[in-house]
Amino acid sequence: MIKNKTGRIFEIIFYPLVSILIFLIIWDVGVKNSELSVVMPGPWEVVSKFIQSFAVPIGKYTMVYHILYSLMRVVPAYIVGSLAGIILGILMGWYPVINRILRPLYELIRPIPPIAWIPISIVWFGIGEGSKWFLIFLAAFVPITLNAYAGATTVDETLIKCSKMLGASDGQVFKTVVLPYSVPHIFTGLQVGLSTSWATVVAAEMIRSTEGVGWIIISSMDTNNVVQSLVGIMGIGVVGFILAIVMRKIEEVLCRWNRIET
Amino acid sequence: MKRRIKVKVNNLSKSFGTLKVLDHISFDVEEGEFLCVVGPTGCGKTTFLNSLTKLYEPTSGEILINNEPVDLKKHNVSYIFQEKSTMEWLNVEQNVGFGLDLRGIKGEEKKKAVDEMLHLVGLEEYRRYYPNEISSSMLQRVVIARAFATTPELLLMDEPYGQLDIELRFKLEDELIKLWKRTGTTIIFITHNIEEAVYMSENILVLTNKPTKIKERVVNNLPRPRNVVDRDFIKMRNRVTDLIKWW
Repeated sequence: MIKNKTGRIFEIIFYPLVSILIFLIIWDVGVKNSELSVVMPGPWEVVSKFIQSFAVPIGKYTMVYHILYSLMRVVPAYIVGSLAGIILGILMGWYPVINRILRPLYELIRPIPPIAWIPISIVWFGIGEGSKWFLIFLAAFVPITLNAYAGATTVDETLIKCSKMLGASDGQVFKTVVLPYSVPHIFTGLQVGLSTSWATVVAAEMIRSTEGVGWIIISSMDTNNVVQSLVGIMGIGVVGFILAIVMRKIEEVLCRWNRIET
Repeated sequence: MKRRIKVKVNNLSKSFGTLKVLDHISFDVEEGEFLCVVGPTGCGKTTFLNSLTKLYEPTSGEILINNEPVDLKKHNVSYIFQEKSTMEWLNVEQNVGFGLDLRGIKGEEKKKAVDEMLHLVGLEEYRRYYPNEISSSMLQRVVIARAFATTPELLLMDEPYGQLDIELRFKLEDELIKLWKRTGTTIIFITHNIEEAVYMSENILVLTNKPTKIKERVVNNLPRPRNVVDRDFIKMRNRVTDLIKWW
């Protein structure tokens, strides 16, 4: 048992470290032995600047504050987008009439990337936080709706019949079978939605901002600072990775029944 | 002693388009009776059960429970399906109490019913386990306990042990007989396994090929506990087998 646990920790830490190290070495060798060094700094310089950014401000703030500002944009919009997506997806999946009415509208919105909404969001919500929240809302809403819909449409028919035979009303079938059955699908959507929301923060912070990890990248264009740009990218990658792990842990706790291996 | 009629089926027919599956079926089930229904593969046994519960609307005919047209909101009917039907997100205890929750039964009454059922099916130790953590036979026990927990007046079972190996099947058959005797529930049990039907039933309804009719109702008075290698048991099994043969 102890060996298994140790083995698991080894797997979780060792292999990702190996892959990151290989990537950095290839990057380093590539930069040192080619003309790439003209446009591309070496990995150790970027990593060291990234670590420094937690103490030395980029613009007005250090990296921690930039991350917190970005999170303040992502989290509320993500929560609202998730709730709207879950409600709409489940309703479309379970009630054919709602699906027939709203699905065409959803299908029209679905392929539009959040970045395409930037001009309209500025007109509608101004250049403050509203337009940023709107873009991130869309980034979360679209995949979460789709997954919640998939959950509600794939409910096992036997379970519905079974609950009806045990005396469930239509409302009870929805509450006691359809909703819980859809939870794993919803979590898949939440995971995808979280990644896309976090990635969209860069686009959102293209709309006037003076802080945030997206801003770090955008502002680096003004000064042609490739290192700063890569530091911002690294910040987005690391935080996105941590958010994905947190979401996976929440899922593991709430959907314990779905994670048990037989 | 003559028991009162619990279920009365009059001229039940069911067609899917031009395909006639059930053809004017009529029979009675007495209160507390254990009736097994057997027939050739594909003869429409599941359609027969689904029509009884109005999961399929019959094309014609009448089904009465306690002399009233069957109404699932009024009559307490439980159905055990062939397919896996435990709720994966509920543990064993919650699954057994699922039907009680739907009926608004709470507190001590619910706890008592759930505890009794878990005890009867031998799953007390596994009450906190999730369906993915237990074996197929345990899953079937959960489903059976869930059905009996609501004290149904009629229990319909559609080949519930069809996917289990022979040893587990024997064990669960004995458990079901124990539960039936204890609760006095009226049971209609569909199976393609003639030995199973002879082992458990009081009466056996033998169906024909499609369009399905009742070929014969066989009274099974073999003493209990029954032994599958007993001469009378084998005789009864052979008799039912001969009735099913269509070749």
